[in-house]
Amino acid sequence: MATLDPFTTLGVNESAGDEEIKHRYLSLVRAFPPDRDPERFQAYRAAFEALCDERKRLEAKLLSNNDAALARLKSRLLSAARPFSARASRASVSALLVEGVAQACAPEEIVAQP
Amino acid sequence: MRATLQQDLFPETVVVPPSTQAVLAAEAMRRRNFKEAIKLYKQLVKDEGLRQWSEGLAQAYAARASELAARGLFEQAQILLDNTAGPDGTVCNPLLYVYCLVKRGQQQKAAEHALKYVGTGKLATDQAARLGEVAAALALATPCRLETPQDPQSERGKWLEQAAAARQAIAAWLEGKPHADVDHLLSRISLRSDFKDLRLILKALITAPLDPDRARRLMDAIAPRSPFATLRGAVEAALAAPGWLGCPTGANAAQRSFISQIHGLAESGSQSPSQLANAESSGPGSLFAYLIRRAETMPADDVRSACFNLLPRIPDRIARFEKSFGVLSPFDRHRVLALAAEIHKDTERAEHHWVAAAESLEAAAGSQAKLSVGVIYRHLAKLAGADDNPDCEESPSVLDYLERSHKADPEHLATLLKLIGHYRSTNRLEDVLRLVEEALERFPNDAAVLRQGVEWATRAKDLDRAIGLAHRLLLLDPINASVRQRTIDLRILAAREQMHSGHADLAAKEIAEAAKLELPGAPSFRLRIAEGLIAIERAGGEEAEARLREGVALVGGGVVGWFHASLEHLLMRGAADRALLRRELVEAQKGAPSKQAILSIALALEADAVRENSAAVAPLIHQIRGWLLKGRSFDWSADEVRRLGQMLWQTEAYKVLEDYARLGVTRTADAGVWRFYQVIARTRGDANKLREREEEDLAEIAEDAASGGRLADAKLIWSFLNAGNPAPGTASHREFDVDDMVTELLGASLRDLSPAEVYRLVGQHGAPKAARIVASKLKKSPLGAIAPAEAIRELAQEMVESVVESSATPRSRKTPAWLR
Repeated sequence: MATLDPFTTLGVNESAGDEEIKHRYLSLVRAFPPDRDPERFQAYRAAFEALCDERKRLEAKLLSNNDAALARLKSRLLSAARPFSARASRASVSALLVEGVAQACAPEEIVAQP
Repeated sequence: MRATLQQDLFPETVVVPPSTQAVLAAEAMRRRNFKEAIKLYKQLVKDEGLRQWSEGLAQAYAARASELAARGLFEQAQILLDNTAGPDGTVCNPLLYVYCLVKRGQQQKAAEHALKYVGTGKLATDQAARLGEVAAALALATPCRLETPQDPQSERGKWLEQAAAARQAIAAWLEGKPHADVDHLLSRISLRSDFKDLRLILKALITAPLDPDRARRLMDAIAPRSPFATLRGAVEAALAAPGWLGCPTGANAAQRSFISQIHGLAESGSQSPSQLANAESSGPGSLFAYLIRRAETMPADDVRSACFNLLPRIPDRIARFEKSFGVLSPFDRHRVLALAAEIHKDTERAEHHWVAAAESLEAAAGSQAKLSVGVIYRHLAKLAGADDNPDCEESPSVLDYLERSHKADPEHLATLLKLIGHYRSTNRLEDVLRLVEEALERFPNDAAVLRQGVEWATRAKDLDRAIGLAHRLLLLDPINASVRQRTIDLRILAAREQMHSGHADLAAKEIAEAAKLELPGAPSFRLRIAEGLIAIERAGGEEAEARLREGVALVGGGVVGWFHASLEHLLMRGAADRALLRRELVEAQKGAPSKQAILSIALALEADAVRENSAAVAPLIHQIRGWLLKGRSFDWSADEVRRLGQMLWQTEAYKVLEDYARLGVTRTADAGVWRFYQVIARTRGDANKLREREEEDLAEIAEDAASGGRLADAKLIWSFLNAGNPAPGTASHREFDVDDMVTELLGASLRDLSPAEVYRLVGQHGAPKAARIVASKLKKSPLGAIAPAEAIRELAQEMVESVVESSATPRSRKTPAWLR
C-alpha cells in the first residue's frame, strides 16, 4: 500500500471524532483482517494509532499535510462509477494486449533499462 | 602495360584464409562488434558458401538488429532480420522481429508473422512456448485471419481451435453477454494452452463483481513477462478502484482508459478522474492549478481544503490561493510557511513561523486552541532537540518550549515527564519537586508519575508519603517485583526511623506490614534480618535469633550474610548486644572469599542510607579487613575496580585499599585507576597531601581515561584533584599544574571546533542555534565530563559571539577571544 496520511488511509474527515475513527477502523479491519492482508492491516493500525486521541489528531492535522480533502474529491468523481460489471471496448483490450506483447518480446537489454 | 596499370590502381591485397576469417568473425561477435562480424561472415559465405557461415551471418544480423532495436531503430532492425529470412519467411530471432513490427505499429503483420511458427517445431521449446503466447495475444488483439486447420489433431490444429474458442469468449465478454455464457465459452479454453492467461483474466472479470478477492487470486498465476500481464495489471487496478487514482503513476494511458470503461466512467471531460490523476502525477503545482480551474464544479469546501493542504509544498501560490478563497488567518499563514520551511530543511525559519503561529493562537480562549499551542511547542522542542545531535535536548530552548507546551496543555503527561527528566539531568531539584507534585495531583493513578513520587518523597525524607505512593503503585502493578521490593524497603526504612526514636514496637509493626507484601516463594532477606533484629531488641529469645539466622541464610550466609545483619543492626542503631553478630562475623571469615561475595558487600554499601552513614559503617569494614585482603589477587574488571575502590575509600579502609592497589598497579589492565586508589590510600583521601609526582601521575591518568572514553574515571580523578584547598607554600605550583592541565583539556575539547567550523555552523544555522550545537559538542568532549552545564553554555556562547564579531570585520578578521 502506498504511504498515505492517516486521515486518507482510514478515509475519514479531518474533523472526525473518537467514535467515528474507531468505528471506521474496526470496519476496515473486519474487511481486511491481518491474516488475509497483513500489510493493509498494518497501515490501518498505524493510521488508527496516529488518530486515536484528540492530541494525536491535532498533531497529524497541524504538523503535516494531508490529502483527505483530495481523496474526498476523487471519490466524488468516482461516485458516478458503476459497479465492476461494465464492459470495455475491443480497442482498449487490444491496446493492452499489444502493449503486453511488446513487453514480452522486448530484448533483455531493453527490459533491463530503467 | 595493362598489367602494370592494374597493379598501380589496385595495389596488392593480402588474401586472408577462411579459417583466419572465421576466427576473426567469432572474435568480432565476442567483442560485440556485429558490423565487423557481418562483413567477415558475408565474405566467408561468398568464399565457401558453407551452412555454418550462413548461420553465423544470421546470428550477426540478429545481434546487430537487437542492438539497433535497443536504440529505438526498429525499421533498421527489421530490415536486418529480413536478411535472415528463410524460404518460408521465418527469421533468426522471431520475438525480436515481432517486437520491431509492434513497435512500428504493424500489429497485423506481427500477428501473421508470429502465427508462422505455431506448431511447426521450428523453434527451441522455450522460445516456441513464448512465441506461442505472443501469437495468442496478437491473434486476440488483431483481426488477423486464422486458417481452418487441415488436421485438427495436429499441434497447430489444436492451437487454432483454442484460438477460435478464445476469440469467441473475449467477443462474448466485450459484447456484454451473460456471465454464464462467457463462463461456458471459457471452459473450452484449456489451462495448458497458450490462451490460459486470457481464460484466467476473463474469469476474474466475471467473478470480480461478486468476489473481488477470488478474482485477484485467479490472476496470481499469470507470469509477469506474459504478453497478458499488462491486461492483468489493468484488471487489478480496476479492482482496486477508486484507490487507483491515488497512485496515478502506476497506471498508463491504456490502463486508465480500460479502468474508466470498466467502471462506466467518461474518459474525458472536465471532471474526469483520469484528468485529476494526471494533474496529481504532474506535481503539486499542476494539481493546485487544476483544482482552482475546476473549483466551480466541485464542492467548494473540499477544493479549498485540498488546495490549502498543497500550500506547504508550493508556498509561492499563497497569493493565488487567497485570491480564490480569501485571506489566510495569521495562524494558517505561519503554519503553511513553517511546514514549507521544514520541507526545505530550514529549521530556523520553521522555528520562527511555528513560534509566530503558536503566539497567534495563544490569545484564543478555546480548549482546542490551547491544545494546538501545546502541540506546536512540543514540536518546537523536538525540532530544537533534533538539530544535529541529541544532546541539544538539554538546551534552554528545549526546556523553554517544553515549559510553554506544558503551560498551554498541562494535561499532557508525556511533556510533564519529559520536563521532570530534563530538570533531573540538570540537577534543578526545586523544579523537579514542583513538577512531581503537580504530576501527582493531575495524574494520581499513573504508574510513571507514582514512581517519580516515591523517589522524590523518599529523597525528601517523607517516608509515610513515599510508602503511601508505593502502595498505590503496587495496586496498579501488582506483579512488578521491583515495585514490591521497593515498598518493602521503604517499610524497612520506616522501621529504622522508629528504632531511632526508640519505638521498637512501632518498628515491628512496620516490618509486619512489609511482611504482608512478601510473595510466597520470594522471601526478602532484608525483611527477615530486620524482623529478627527488632525481635531481639524487643525481647530476644530463640525465635528472634532464628528469624535473624533465616535472613542471613537467605542472602547466602557466611561473611556476606552476617555483614548484612551487622549493617542493618548498625543502621537501626540497635542497642541490643552485638556479641552474636560480632562472633558470627568472625567465625564466617574463616572461609575464603569469592569475587561475588566481596562485590555483594560493595553493592550493599552503595545504598543511599549507607552512604549517609559512611563513618559509622567504617568499623564494620575494619572487622572484615583480613577477609577482604584475601581477595586482592582476584582478576578484577574495570567496573569492579571502581566499585571496590569506592567502597574502601568511602569506609576509609585505607590500609586494605593500599594493599589492593599495590597489587593492582602491577597489572597492566586498569593500572591507572589502581594508581589513583594507591594515591588515595597514601593521602587518606586528602588532595592537599598530594605530592608533585602524584599530581602529575593523576593528571596523566585522567587524560588517558578521557581520551579513552572512560569519562567516569576521568571525572572522578579530576574532581579529587580539584577538591583540596591548596596548601600554603604549594599554591602557585599546583595552580600552574592545573592550568596546564586545563589548557590541554581545552585543546583536546576544541580540536573539532575550529573557528572555521564555528563560522560554518553560524552561517548554516544562525547564531542562537550554532551556540546550542557548539555547547552540545563541548558537552561530549572531555571538558564536558567535568565542567558544569552552565559554564559550557557560556563558553559556547562566547565562541559564537567571537566568530560573529570577527566576521563583521572581514578585512581584518580578528582571532576569536577564546583562542587568544
